[in-house]
Amino acid sequence: MRNAPQRSQATVQKRTPGRTLYIVCLTVLFLAFAAVATQDAHANSPTIRLFPTTVVEDLKQTGNVARDMETGLQEIIGRLDQQQELYNESKCDGAENDSGCQRLARQIGATYLEMLTIMEERLPDMEHTVNNTRLSLEKGLRNELGRKMTPWTLQETLIGKSTSAATQQSAPTLRGRSGMRLSERFKQYYQLVATSGAKGDQSLAVLASDIYLDMEETSLLIQRTRQEIARATLMEQLNQSFGIITPEMIEVVGGVKSILFGDMDGTALVAGPPPGSIEEAYRSPLEQ
Amino acid sequence: MRTKLIIFLAATFLASCASNAPECVGPQSKNLSSAIDQAQISLINGCHAHFDRYYDSLLGIAEGDPKPENKRVFSEFLVWSSDKGLLSNRQAQNYYNRYFNVKFMSLKGDYNNCSHTCPNKQKFLFDMERELSDKERGLLRVSLDNEGYYRADQLYQEVELVLEATCTACAAGR
Repeated sequence: MRNAPQRSQATVQKRTPGRTLYIVCLTVLFLAFAAVATQDAHANSPTIRLFPTTVVEDLKQTGNVARDMETGLQEIIGRLDQQQELYNESKCDGAENDSGCQRLARQIGATYLEMLTIMEERLPDMEHTVNNTRLSLEKGLRNELGRKMTPWTLQETLIGKSTSAATQQSAPTLRGRSGMRLSERFKQYYQLVATSGAKGDQSLAVLASDIYLDMEETSLLIQRTRQEIARATLMEQLNQSFGIITPEMIEVVGGVKSILFGDMDGTALVAGPPPGSIEEAYRSPLEQ
Repeated sequence: MRTKLIIFLAATFLASCASNAPECVGPQSKNLSSAIDQAQISLINGCHAHFDRYYDSLLGIAEGDPKPENKRVFSEFLVWSSDKGLLSNRQAQNYYNRYFNVKFMSLKGDYNNCSHTCPNKQKFLFDMERELSDKERGLLRVSLDNEGYYRADQLYQEVELVLEATCTACAAGR
């Protein structure tokens, strides 16, 4: 009987490594479970689905089509610029009856026709890919931001869970919809969307809206341009016999240049923060 | 004769009542703490109907000595007002957030954007613009929270852009 406590102590001492192992195993299991649960919770957290794979592919495709169109038109537009310069330097403006000036005007008209033909060939592809992107984004915006959100939840999505400086820097700057080449613009969109996984929903909502409005505008422009091309081609074929440069021609060329190669004057500037010291944030109990 | 006397007495009584009504003059001190003390005394002594005016005066006084601490001072003043029953909790939140929070109270709403926000988009944006100018006062001129004001301004622009796109998408789906 006297030995009984000693035996029991020995049993405890014997059991200790086993128990430690048991606790360690339990802890590991718990940690593993916690990690899985956290990952699962993260995966199940409500995220807005604005960029399905099809949109990413459409953006890439639109960028490629735009690049092909630019390559085809760049040389012609350059030639048009030179011819226009020569026409102006020769003081042909107001001297339309001069035979030399008429010849120059016909040359310009022919190059203009060439430009219209290339555009007529390439625009349907462009219109198709732009419309695909626009429609996919439209559906996403309508369902995710329009029907599933109230103005307050939309605001909370935009502001993000954290308003730290790091989060703010990750948000894309509103670029505006001009100021760079069309293909470059789509390339940037593609890169932004393709790497947007690491960014929060707030960036995606702004990005999707920006791209959608751009697509909307581009789609409308393409539609109008296609309608105009047939008319402009006929007009120019008629003008060829008279050797006239119409103001409309100059306007159309200017428009095409600004769409394809960017309008440098239109670059939107984003205002910087007002000067002053930045103090630590105070959180009121009334804050929402 | 007796009737005339009664009328005279009643008129005198009413006149004396009128002269006893609180004058509800705004806080005179240029020091925010003293001004808040004065405002609190007036507000609990019958001037609560003039809360808006008092709040505006206090903001004006705080603009004379802007500092981040002012956010806390105004929050405490509003919590006090709510505790004393001068404001409901929701009103107190609205007064605070409208001036001192980045988020826009104008965007409060329980219905989805397609059905409610889009048909009233211009009104929402107009209200936000007005609120942004209140935030300029509260965040920038009273609390020197430049970062907060800049974020609110950016948020306004983002909401404008996102609403434009969302409402276009909603309209296309009809």
